[in-house]
Amino acid sequence: MYNNVRPQLGVPQFQPQLPTSSQPNVFGNAFNAAGSGLIRGGLGAYGEKIFGSSSEYVQSNITRYFSDPQYYFQVNDHYVKNKLKVVLFPFLHRGHWTRITEPVGGRLSYKPPIYDINAPDLYIPLMAFGTYVVLAGISLGLRGKFSPEALNWLFIKGMVGWCMQTALLKLTLLSLGSGEAPLLDIVAYAGYTFAGMSLAALGKIISGYSYYVLMPWFCLCMGIFLVKTMKRVLFAEVRSYDSSKHHYLLLFIALAQFPLFMWLGNITVNWFI
Amino acid sequence: MEKEFKVPPVSFASVGNPAGQNLQNRRVPIPPFQPNSGIPFMSFDIGSAAVSTSSGPIYSGPGIGGGGSVNFDDEEPLLDELGIHPDQIWSKIRSVLNPFRVNHTVHKDSDLSGPILLYMAFCLFQLLAGKIQFGVILGWIVVSSIFLYVVFNMLAGRTGNLDLHTCTSVVGYSMLPVVIFSAISLFLPQGGFFGLAIAAVFVLWATRASTGLVVSLTDGGDEHRGLIAYACFLIYTLFSLLVIF
Repeated sequence: MYNNVRPQLGVPQFQPQLPTSSQPNVFGNAFNAAGSGLIRGGLGAYGEKIFGSSSEYVQSNITRYFSDPQYYFQVNDHYVKNKLKVVLFPFLHRGHWTRITEPVGGRLSYKPPIYDINAPDLYIPLMAFGTYVVLAGISLGLRGKFSPEALNWLFIKGMVGWCMQTALLKLTLLSLGSGEAPLLDIVAYAGYTFAGMSLAALGKIISGYSYYVLMPWFCLCMGIFLVKTMKRVLFAEVRSYDSSKHHYLLLFIALAQFPLFMWLGNITVNWFI
Repeated sequence: MEKEFKVPPVSFASVGNPAGQNLQNRRVPIPPFQPNSGIPFMSFDIGSAAVSTSSGPIYSGPGIGGGGSVNFDDEEPLLDELGIHPDQIWSKIRSVLNPFRVNHTVHKDSDLSGPILLYMAFCLFQLLAGKIQFGVILGWIVVSSIFLYVVFNMLAGRTGNLDLHTCTSVVGYSMLPVVIFSAISLFLPQGGFFGLAIAAVFVLWATRASTGLVVSLTDGGDEHRGLIAYACFLIYTLFSLLVIF
Protein backbone atom coordinates (compact mmCIF):
# COMPACT_ATOMS: atom_id res chain seq x y z
CA MET A 1 0.00 0.00 0.00
CA TYR A 2 2.82 2.30 0.62
CA ASN A 3 4.50 2.03 -2.74
CA ASN A 4 4.22 5.58 -3.89
CA VAL A 5 3.15 6.20 -7.42
CA ARG A 6 5.70 7.46 -9.85
CA PRO A 7 5.16 11.03 -11.02
CA GLN A 8 2.65 11.22 -13.79
CA LEU A 9 3.73 14.49 -15.25
CA GLY A 10 2.37 13.65 -18.65
CA VAL A 11 5.24 11.33 -19.44
CA PRO A 12 4.14 7.91 -20.59
CA GLN A 13 6.77 6.03 -18.65
CA PHE A 14 4.64 4.80 -15.77
CA GLN A 15 5.95 1.58 -14.28
CA PRO A 16 3.70 -0.33 -11.91
CA GLN A 17 5.21 -1.15 -8.54
CA LEU A 18 5.59 -4.86 -7.99
CA PRO A 19 6.89 -6.27 -4.71
CA THR A 20 9.50 -8.37 -6.41
CA SER A 21 10.46 -5.60 -8.68
CA SER A 22 11.36 -6.50 -12.19
CA GLN A 23 13.53 -3.41 -12.54
CA PRO A 24 16.97 -4.35 -11.33
CA ASN A 25 18.12 -0.94 -10.30
CA VAL A 26 15.73 1.04 -8.12
CA PHE A 27 18.28 3.77 -7.58
CA GLY A 28 18.93 3.97 -11.28
CA ASN A 29 15.26 4.58 -11.93
CA ALA A 30 14.90 7.04 -9.12
CA PHE A 31 17.67 9.13 -10.57
CA ASN A 32 16.41 8.71 -14.10
CA ALA A 33 13.91 11.29 -13.12
CA ALA A 34 16.87 13.53 -12.49
CA GLY A 35 17.41 13.40 -16.20
CA SER A 36 21.15 13.72 -16.14
CA GLY A 37 23.51 11.81 -18.32
CA LEU A 38 26.18 11.70 -15.66
CA ILE A 39 24.08 10.20 -12.90
CA ARG A 40 22.06 8.02 -15.18
CA GLY A 41 25.08 6.51 -16.87
CA GLY A 42 27.14 6.03 -13.75
CA LEU A 43 24.46 4.94 -11.36
CA GLY A 44 22.73 2.85 -13.98
CA ALA A 45 25.90 0.90 -14.52
CA TYR A 46 26.41 0.46 -10.79
CA GLY A 47 22.77 -0.40 -10.32
CA GLU A 48 23.07 -3.24 -12.79
CA LYS A 49 26.14 -4.48 -11.01
CA ILE A 50 24.80 -4.16 -7.48
CA PHE A 51 21.24 -5.29 -7.91
CA GLY A 52 21.46 -7.47 -10.95
CA SER A 53 23.05 -10.36 -9.19
CA SER A 54 21.52 -10.03 -5.74
CA SER A 55 18.68 -12.09 -4.44
CA GLU A 56 15.09 -11.04 -4.71
CA TYR A 57 14.84 -10.71 -0.96
CA VAL A 58 17.37 -7.92 -0.91
CA GLN A 59 15.70 -6.28 -3.87
CA SER A 60 12.31 -6.21 -2.28
CA ASN A 61 13.75 -4.91 0.97
CA ILE A 62 15.51 -2.03 -0.73
CA THR A 63 12.34 -1.13 -2.59
CA ARG A 64 10.48 -1.20 0.68
CA TYR A 65 12.94 0.97 2.58
CA PHE A 66 13.70 3.62 0.00
CA SER A 67 10.56 4.62 -1.81
CA ASP A 68 10.94 6.83 -4.80
CA PRO A 69 12.43 10.15 -3.57
CA GLN A 70 11.02 12.04 -6.54
CA TYR A 71 7.57 11.81 -4.98
CA TYR A 72 8.68 14.02 -2.11
CA PHE A 73 9.93 16.80 -4.33
CA GLN A 74 6.79 17.42 -6.32
CA VAL A 75 6.11 20.73 -4.67
CA ASN A 76 5.35 24.22 -5.70
CA ASP A 77 5.31 27.64 -4.06
CA HIS A 78 1.71 27.39 -2.95
CA TYR A 79 2.27 24.05 -1.23
CA VAL A 80 5.43 25.24 0.49
CA LYS A 81 3.78 28.34 1.92
CA ASN A 82 0.74 26.50 3.21
CA LYS A 83 2.73 23.58 4.56
CA LEU A 84 4.94 25.95 6.50
CA LYS A 85 1.84 27.52 7.98
CA VAL A 86 0.58 24.08 8.97
CA VAL A 87 3.90 23.07 10.51
CA LEU A 88 4.52 26.26 12.41
CA PHE A 89 0.95 26.94 13.53
CA PRO A 90 -0.79 23.59 13.49
CA PHE A 91 -3.68 24.71 15.62
CA LEU A 92 -4.77 27.07 12.85
CA HIS A 93 -5.27 24.26 10.36
CA ARG A 94 -8.98 24.06 9.87
CA GLY A 95 -9.14 21.13 7.47
CA HIS A 96 -8.63 17.45 8.11
CA TRP A 97 -5.26 15.85 8.59
CA THR A 98 -5.63 12.68 6.58
CA ARG A 99 -3.76 12.13 3.36
CA ILE A 100 -5.76 11.75 0.22
CA THR A 101 -5.46 8.36 -1.39
CA GLU A 102 -6.08 7.50 -4.96
CA PRO A 103 -6.26 4.10 -6.58
CA VAL A 104 -3.42 3.86 -9.03
CA GLY A 105 -2.68 0.74 -11.01
CA GLY A 106 -4.71 -1.49 -8.80
CA ARG A 107 -3.28 -0.48 -5.44
CA LEU A 108 -4.00 2.43 -3.18
CA SER A 109 -1.36 5.12 -2.99
CA TYR A 110 -1.18 8.65 -1.74
CA LYS A 111 -1.43 11.76 -3.83
CA PRO A 112 1.77 13.74 -4.32
CA PRO A 113 2.33 16.87 -2.24
CA ILE A 114 1.15 19.32 -4.91
CA TYR A 115 -2.37 18.00 -4.60
CA ASP A 116 -2.46 17.25 -0.91
CA ILE A 117 -1.43 19.60 1.85
CA ASN A 118 -1.08 16.74 4.31
CA ALA A 119 1.43 14.78 2.27
CA PRO A 120 5.02 14.91 3.53
CA ASP A 121 7.70 16.35 1.31
CA LEU A 122 11.47 16.45 1.51
CA TYR A 123 12.07 19.92 0.12
CA ILE A 124 10.99 21.80 3.24
CA PRO A 125 13.00 19.62 5.66
CA LEU A 126 16.12 19.92 3.50
CA MET A 127 15.84 23.70 3.19
CA ALA A 128 14.92 24.10 6.84
CA PHE A 129 17.98 22.08 7.83
CA GLY A 130 20.18 24.26 5.65
CA THR A 131 18.61 27.38 7.12
CA TYR A 132 19.20 26.11 10.62
CA VAL A 133 22.88 25.41 9.91
CA VAL A 134 23.38 28.84 8.33
CA LEU A 135 21.59 30.66 11.15
CA ALA A 136 23.49 28.70 13.77
CA GLY A 137 26.68 29.69 11.98
CA ILE A 138 25.65 33.35 12.08
CA SER A 139 24.86 33.16 15.78
CA LEU A 140 28.23 31.53 16.45
CA GLY A 141 29.90 34.24 14.40
CA LEU A 142 28.25 37.01 16.33
CA ARG A 143 29.70 35.49 19.47
CA GLY A 144 33.12 35.37 17.84
CA LYS A 145 33.42 31.61 17.66
CA PHE A 146 32.90 31.03 13.97
CA SER A 147 35.24 28.86 11.96
CA PRO A 148 34.63 26.48 9.05
CA GLU A 149 35.23 23.53 11.35
CA ALA A 150 32.56 24.89 13.68
CA LEU A 151 30.15 24.90 10.78
CA ASN A 152 30.98 21.28 10.03
CA TRP A 153 30.30 20.52 13.66
CA LEU A 154 26.92 22.25 13.52
CA PHE A 155 26.05 20.27 10.42
CA ILE A 156 26.86 17.00 12.14
CA LYS A 157 24.98 18.01 15.25
CA GLY A 158 21.93 18.84 13.15
CA MET A 159 22.13 15.52 11.34
CA VAL A 160 22.33 13.68 14.65
CA GLY A 161 19.27 15.59 15.84
CA TRP A 162 17.42 14.68 12.67
CA CYS A 163 18.37 11.03 13.06
CA MET A 164 17.29 11.00 16.67
CA GLN A 165 13.92 12.46 15.78
CA THR A 166 13.53 9.88 13.01
CA ALA A 167 14.50 7.12 15.39
CA LEU A 168 11.96 8.36 17.93
CA LEU A 169 9.13 8.28 15.42
CA LYS A 170 10.21 5.01 13.90
CA LEU A 171 10.57 3.30 17.27
CA THR A 172 7.13 4.52 18.28
CA LEU A 173 5.70 2.97 15.17
CA LEU A 174 7.65 -0.24 15.66
CA SER A 175 6.60 -0.59 19.26
CA LEU A 176 3.01 -0.62 18.13
CA GLY A 177 3.77 -3.43 15.79
CA SER A 178 3.80 -1.71 12.45
CA GLY A 179 7.00 -0.99 10.58
CA GLU A 180 5.48 -0.41 7.22
CA ALA A 181 5.49 3.34 6.87
CA PRO A 182 8.09 4.34 4.27
CA LEU A 183 11.33 5.49 5.81
CA LEU A 184 11.38 8.66 3.75
CA ASP A 185 7.96 9.61 5.15
CA ILE A 186 9.34 9.38 8.67
CA VAL A 187 12.48 11.27 7.65
CA ALA A 188 10.28 14.02 6.20
CA TYR A 189 8.13 14.31 9.33
CA ALA A 190 11.24 14.43 11.47
CA GLY A 191 12.77 17.13 9.31
CA TYR A 192 9.92 19.53 9.89
CA THR A 193 11.36 20.30 13.33
CA PHE A 194 14.05 22.35 11.65
CA ALA A 195 11.49 24.83 10.37
CA GLY A 196 10.52 25.84 13.89
CA MET A 197 14.11 25.52 15.01
CA SER A 198 15.30 27.95 12.34
CA LEU A 199 12.80 30.56 13.45
CA ALA A 200 13.89 30.11 17.06
CA ALA A 201 17.53 30.51 15.98
CA LEU A 202 16.59 33.65 14.05
CA GLY A 203 14.96 34.98 17.18
CA LYS A 204 18.13 34.24 19.09
CA ILE A 205 20.15 36.31 16.66
CA ILE A 206 17.79 39.26 16.64
CA SER A 207 17.23 39.50 20.36
CA GLY A 208 18.54 37.16 23.00
CA TYR A 209 15.39 37.14 25.09
CA SER A 210 12.92 36.39 22.34
CA TYR A 211 14.59 32.99 21.99
CA TYR A 212 13.27 31.92 25.40
CA VAL A 213 9.75 32.67 24.22
CA LEU A 214 10.02 31.35 20.69
CA MET A 215 11.71 28.07 21.50
CA PRO A 216 9.05 26.59 23.81
CA TRP A 217 6.38 27.94 21.49
CA PHE A 218 7.73 26.15 18.43
CA CYS A 219 8.45 23.11 20.54
CA LEU A 220 4.79 22.97 21.45
CA CYS A 221 3.70 23.55 17.88
CA MET A 222 5.96 20.80 16.62
CA GLY A 223 4.60 18.48 19.28
CA ILE A 224 1.03 19.17 18.19
CA PHE A 225 1.93 18.71 14.53
CA LEU A 226 3.66 15.41 15.17
CA VAL A 227 0.85 14.13 17.35
CA LYS A 228 -1.76 14.92 14.75
CA THR A 229 0.29 13.45 11.93
CA MET A 230 1.35 10.32 13.74
CA LYS A 231 -2.21 9.72 14.84
CA ARG A 232 -3.25 9.47 11.21
CA VAL A 233 -0.24 7.32 10.41
CA LEU A 234 -1.12 4.99 13.26
CA PHE A 235 -4.70 4.78 12.11
CA ALA A 236 -3.59 3.83 8.65
CA GLU A 237 -0.92 1.41 9.76
CA VAL A 238 -1.59 -0.42 12.91
CA ARG A 239 -3.95 -3.37 12.84
CA SER A 240 -5.13 -3.47 16.39
CA TYR A 241 -6.43 -0.26 17.81
CA ASP A 242 -5.24 -0.10 21.40
CA SER A 243 -6.41 3.32 22.36
CA SER A 244 -4.61 3.98 25.61
CA LYS A 245 -1.25 2.69 24.39
CA HIS A 246 -1.55 4.87 21.30
CA HIS A 247 -2.29 7.94 23.35
CA TYR A 248 0.56 7.39 25.77
CA LEU A 249 3.00 6.99 22.94
CA LEU A 250 1.72 10.11 21.21
CA LEU A 251 2.08 12.03 24.45
CA PHE A 252 5.62 10.70 24.78
CA ILE A 253 6.43 11.96 21.29
CA ALA A 254 5.15 15.40 22.14
CA LEU A 255 7.08 15.56 25.40
CA ALA A 256 10.28 14.30 23.79
CA GLN A 257 10.33 17.39 21.59
CA PHE A 258 11.38 19.54 24.53
CA PRO A 259 14.81 18.01 25.22
CA LEU A 260 15.44 17.76 21.49
CA PHE A 261 14.72 21.43 20.92
CA MET A 262 16.74 22.46 23.92
CA TRP A 263 19.69 20.44 22.68
CA LEU A 264 19.46 21.75 19.12
CA GLY A 265 18.82 25.29 20.21
CA ASN A 266 21.88 25.41 22.39
CA ILE A 267 24.21 26.42 19.60
CA THR A 268 27.76 25.65 20.64
CA VAL A 269 30.74 23.78 19.37
CA ASN A 270 30.52 21.04 21.98
CA TRP A 271 28.05 18.23 22.28
CA PHE A 272 26.09 19.56 25.21
CA ILE A 273 27.40 22.71 26.73
CA MET B 1 81.37 -9.43 25.34
CA GLU B 2 83.81 -7.53 23.33
CA LYS B 3 84.42 -8.28 19.77
CA GLU B 4 87.21 -7.17 17.59
CA PHE B 5 86.08 -5.62 14.38
CA LYS B 6 88.30 -5.23 11.46
CA VAL B 7 88.13 -1.57 10.67
CA PRO B 8 89.82 -0.30 7.59
CA PRO B 9 92.39 2.34 8.38
CA VAL B 10 91.10 5.85 8.11
CA SER B 11 93.50 8.43 6.88
CA PHE B 12 92.67 12.07 7.07
CA ALA B 13 94.12 14.49 4.62
CA SER B 14 96.80 16.60 6.22
CA VAL B 15 95.96 20.26 6.36
CA GLY B 16 98.86 21.48 4.31
CA ASN B 17 97.96 19.79 1.04
CA PRO B 18 96.09 21.73 -1.57
CA ALA B 19 92.46 20.58 -1.70
CA GLY B 20 92.22 20.14 -5.42
CA GLN B 21 94.87 17.50 -5.51
CA ASN B 22 93.21 15.39 -2.87
CA LEU B 23 89.83 15.65 -4.37
CA GLN B 24 91.22 14.46 -7.59
CA ASN B 25 92.78 11.56 -5.77
CA ARG B 26 89.52 10.57 -4.24
CA ARG B 27 87.03 11.00 -6.98
CA VAL B 28 87.04 9.24 -10.28
CA PRO B 29 86.34 11.82 -12.88
CA ILE B 30 82.95 11.19 -14.39
CA PRO B 31 82.57 11.98 -18.06
CA PRO B 32 79.80 14.47 -18.74
CA PHE B 33 76.43 12.98 -19.62
CA GLN B 34 76.07 12.23 -23.30
CA PRO B 35 72.50 12.08 -24.46
CA ASN B 36 71.59 9.19 -26.64
CA SER B 37 72.42 10.40 -30.05
CA GLY B 38 69.70 8.25 -31.57
CA ILE B 39 66.98 10.81 -30.68
CA PRO B 40 66.94 13.70 -33.10
CA PHE B 41 67.10 16.96 -31.27
CA MET B 42 65.15 19.73 -32.88
CA SER B 43 66.72 23.05 -32.32
CA PHE B 44 64.30 25.88 -32.41
CA ASP B 45 64.65 29.51 -33.01
CA ILE B 46 62.51 31.77 -30.85
CA GLY B 47 62.11 34.38 -33.50
CA SER B 48 60.51 32.05 -35.96
CA ALA B 49 58.12 30.30 -33.57
CA ALA B 50 54.46 30.58 -34.46
CA VAL B 51 52.65 32.93 -32.13
CA SER B 52 49.04 32.06 -31.39
CA THR B 53 46.64 34.35 -33.08
CA SER B 54 43.54 34.03 -30.99
CA SER B 55 44.94 34.26 -27.51
CA GLY B 56 46.53 37.58 -27.93
CA PRO B 57 49.69 38.29 -25.99
CA ILE B 58 49.86 34.88 -24.35
CA TYR B 59 52.95 33.09 -25.67
CA SER B 60 52.64 29.35 -26.28
CA GLY B 61 55.41 27.30 -24.74
CA PRO B 62 58.29 25.93 -26.74
CA GLY B 63 57.75 22.55 -28.33
CA ILE B 64 59.91 19.71 -27.13
CA GLY B 65 61.29 17.71 -29.99
CA GLY B 66 60.63 14.07 -29.60
CA GLY B 67 59.76 11.70 -32.32
CA GLY B 68 60.71 14.19 -34.92
CA SER B 69 57.50 14.30 -36.92
CA VAL B 70 55.56 16.93 -34.92
CA ASN B 71 56.23 20.28 -36.42
CA PHE B 72 56.26 23.05 -33.89
CA ASP B 73 54.43 25.40 -36.19
CA ASP B 74 51.44 23.06 -36.44
CA GLU B 75 50.78 22.79 -32.71
CA GLU B 76 47.80 24.48 -31.18
CA PRO B 77 48.31 27.36 -28.84
CA LEU B 78 48.43 26.16 -25.26
CA LEU B 79 45.29 27.89 -24.06
CA ASP B 80 43.25 26.54 -26.94
CA GLU B 81 44.53 23.09 -26.26
CA LEU B 82 43.56 23.40 -22.63
CA GLY B 83 40.14 24.72 -23.56
CA ILE B 84 40.57 28.04 -21.80
CA HIS B 85 39.20 30.97 -23.75
CA PRO B 86 39.98 34.21 -21.92
CA ASP B 87 37.63 36.38 -23.93
CA GLN B 88 34.76 34.01 -23.27
CA ILE B 89 35.58 33.99 -19.57
CA TRP B 90 35.66 37.76 -19.55
CA SER B 91 32.33 38.07 -21.31
CA LYS B 92 30.75 35.62 -18.88
CA ILE B 93 32.10 37.52 -15.91
CA ARG B 94 30.83 40.76 -17.39
CA SER B 95 27.40 39.25 -17.82
CA VAL B 96 27.19 38.41 -14.13
CA LEU B 97 28.38 41.90 -13.26
CA ASN B 98 25.02 43.46 -14.06
CA PRO B 99 22.68 42.41 -11.28
CA PHE B 100 19.47 43.30 -13.02
CA ARG B 101 19.77 41.62 -16.34
CA VAL B 102 21.97 38.57 -16.64
CA ASN B 103 22.81 37.79 -20.22
CA HIS B 104 22.43 34.06 -20.28
CA THR B 105 23.30 33.42 -23.92
CA VAL B 106 27.01 33.65 -23.29
CA HIS B 107 26.71 30.92 -20.66
CA LYS B 108 25.38 28.36 -23.08
CA ASP B 109 28.55 26.30 -23.08
CA SER B 110 29.68 25.84 -19.55
CA ASP B 111 33.30 25.85 -18.62
CA LEU B 112 35.11 25.45 -15.37
CA SER B 113 38.13 27.64 -15.91
CA GLY B 114 36.29 30.85 -15.10
CA PRO B 115 35.04 29.45 -11.78
CA ILE B 116 38.57 28.32 -10.96
CA LEU B 117 39.81 31.82 -11.67
CA LEU B 118 37.14 33.31 -9.41
CA TYR B 119 37.94 30.70 -6.77
CA MET B 120 41.61 31.69 -6.79
CA ALA B 121 40.66 35.36 -6.55
CA PHE B 122 38.36 34.63 -3.60
CA CYS B 123 41.05 32.62 -1.82
CA LEU B 124 43.53 35.41 -2.50
CA PHE B 125 41.31 38.02 -0.88
CA GLN B 126 40.67 35.75 2.07
CA LEU B 127 44.42 35.26 2.36
CA LEU B 128 44.87 39.01 2.46
CA ALA B 129 42.39 39.04 5.32
CA GLY B 130 44.51 36.50 7.14
CA LYS B 131 42.33 33.45 6.61
CA ILE B 132 43.90 30.48 4.88
CA GLN B 133 40.82 28.74 3.52
CA PHE B 134 41.77 27.27 0.18
CA GLY B 135 40.58 23.78 0.90
CA VAL B 136 37.50 24.93 2.74
CA ILE B 137 36.26 27.07 -0.13
CA LEU B 138 36.94 24.42 -2.74
CA GLY B 139 35.15 21.80 -0.69
CA TRP B 140 32.20 24.09 -0.14
CA ILE B 141 31.93 24.88 -3.83
CA VAL B 142 31.88 21.18 -4.68
CA VAL B 143 29.32 20.35 -2.00
CA SER B 144 27.06 23.25 -2.82
CA SER B 145 27.07 22.54 -6.54
CA ILE B 146 26.14 18.91 -5.83
CA PHE B 147 23.41 20.20 -3.50
CA LEU B 148 22.00 22.55 -6.13
CA TYR B 149 22.21 19.81 -8.75
CA VAL B 150 20.24 17.37 -6.59
CA VAL B 151 17.64 19.93 -5.56
CA PHE B 152 17.08 21.22 -9.07
CA ASN B 153 16.77 17.80 -10.67
CA MET B 154 14.49 16.52 -7.95
CA LEU B 155 12.25 19.55 -8.22
CA ALA B 156 12.13 19.56 -11.98
CA GLY B 157 11.48 15.82 -12.22
CA ARG B 158 11.75 14.24 -15.59
CA THR B 159 11.83 17.50 -17.48
CA GLY B 160 14.91 18.73 -15.71
CA ASN B 161 18.19 18.53 -17.57
CA LEU B 162 20.76 20.26 -15.42
CA ASP B 163 24.04 18.43 -15.46
CA LEU B 164 26.78 18.73 -12.91
CA HIS B 165 29.20 20.57 -15.18
CA THR B 166 26.71 23.32 -15.95
CA CYS B 167 25.70 23.48 -12.31
CA THR B 168 29.26 23.95 -11.11
CA SER B 169 29.85 26.51 -13.83
CA VAL B 170 26.81 28.53 -12.79
CA VAL B 171 27.65 28.35 -9.08
CA GLY B 172 31.21 29.37 -9.83
CA TYR B 173 30.41 32.34 -12.02
CA SER B 174 27.77 33.61 -9.63
CA MET B 175 30.43 33.74 -6.94
CA LEU B 176 31.63 36.98 -8.48
CA PRO B 177 29.57 39.16 -6.09
CA VAL B 178 30.99 37.23 -3.13
CA VAL B 179 34.51 37.78 -4.46
CA ILE B 180 33.82 41.50 -4.77
CA PHE B 181 32.39 41.47 -1.25
CA SER B 182 35.51 39.80 0.13
CA ALA B 183 37.63 42.43 -1.60
CA ILE B 184 35.53 45.23 -0.13
CA SER B 185 35.42 43.71 3.33
CA LEU B 186 39.18 44.10 3.58
CA PHE B 187 38.52 47.77 4.14
CA LEU B 188 35.51 47.47 6.41
CA PRO B 189 35.38 46.95 10.19
CA GLN B 190 35.33 43.28 10.97
CA GLY B 191 32.31 41.29 12.05
CA GLY B 192 29.01 42.25 13.56
CA PHE B 193 25.70 43.33 12.16
CA PHE B 194 27.26 45.84 9.80
CA GLY B 195 28.97 43.07 7.88
CA LEU B 196 25.71 41.16 7.73
CA ALA B 197 23.87 44.13 6.30
CA ILE B 198 26.40 44.70 3.54
CA ALA B 199 26.58 40.97 2.87
CA ALA B 200 22.84 40.89 2.28
CA VAL B 201 23.21 43.08 -0.80
CA PHE B 202 25.88 40.91 -2.36
CA VAL B 203 24.16 37.67 -1.45
CA LEU B 204 20.96 38.85 -3.07
CA TRP B 205 22.91 39.84 -6.17
CA ALA B 206 24.53 36.41 -6.36
CA THR B 207 21.21 34.68 -5.78
CA ARG B 208 19.54 36.63 -8.53
CA ALA B 209 22.35 35.92 -10.96
CA SER B 210 22.53 32.21 -10.27
CA THR B 211 18.77 31.67 -10.28
CA GLY B 212 18.43 33.52 -13.54
CA LEU B 213 21.21 31.47 -15.10
CA VAL B 214 19.95 28.13 -13.85
CA VAL B 215 16.38 28.76 -14.92
CA SER B 216 17.27 30.07 -18.35
CA LEU B 217 19.89 27.44 -19.14
CA THR B 218 17.71 24.42 -18.40
CA ASP B 219 14.25 23.20 -19.18
CA GLY B 220 12.25 22.37 -16.15
CA GLY B 221 13.01 25.22 -13.80
CA ASP B 222 10.43 27.86 -14.61
CA GLU B 223 7.69 26.98 -12.19
CA HIS B 224 10.11 26.37 -9.33
CA ARG B 225 11.95 29.65 -9.57
CA GLY B 226 11.34 30.68 -5.98
CA LEU B 227 12.31 27.30 -4.60
CA ILE B 228 15.57 27.23 -6.52
CA ALA B 229 16.23 30.83 -5.53
CA TYR B 230 16.05 29.87 -1.88
CA ALA B 231 18.55 27.05 -2.37
CA CYS B 232 20.97 29.44 -4.09
CA PHE B 233 20.38 31.99 -1.33
CA LEU B 234 21.48 29.44 1.27
CA ILE B 235 24.60 28.59 -0.70
CA TYR B 236 25.78 32.17 -1.06
CA THR B 237 24.92 33.04 2.52
CA LEU B 238 27.30 30.27 3.55
CA PHE B 239 30.10 31.77 1.50
CA SER B 240 29.44 35.22 2.81
CA LEU B 241 29.73 33.85 6.34
CA LEU B 242 33.29 32.89 5.48
CA VAL B 243 33.94 36.45 4.44
CA ILE B 244 32.28 38.23 7.35
CA PHE B 245 33.51 36.13 10.21
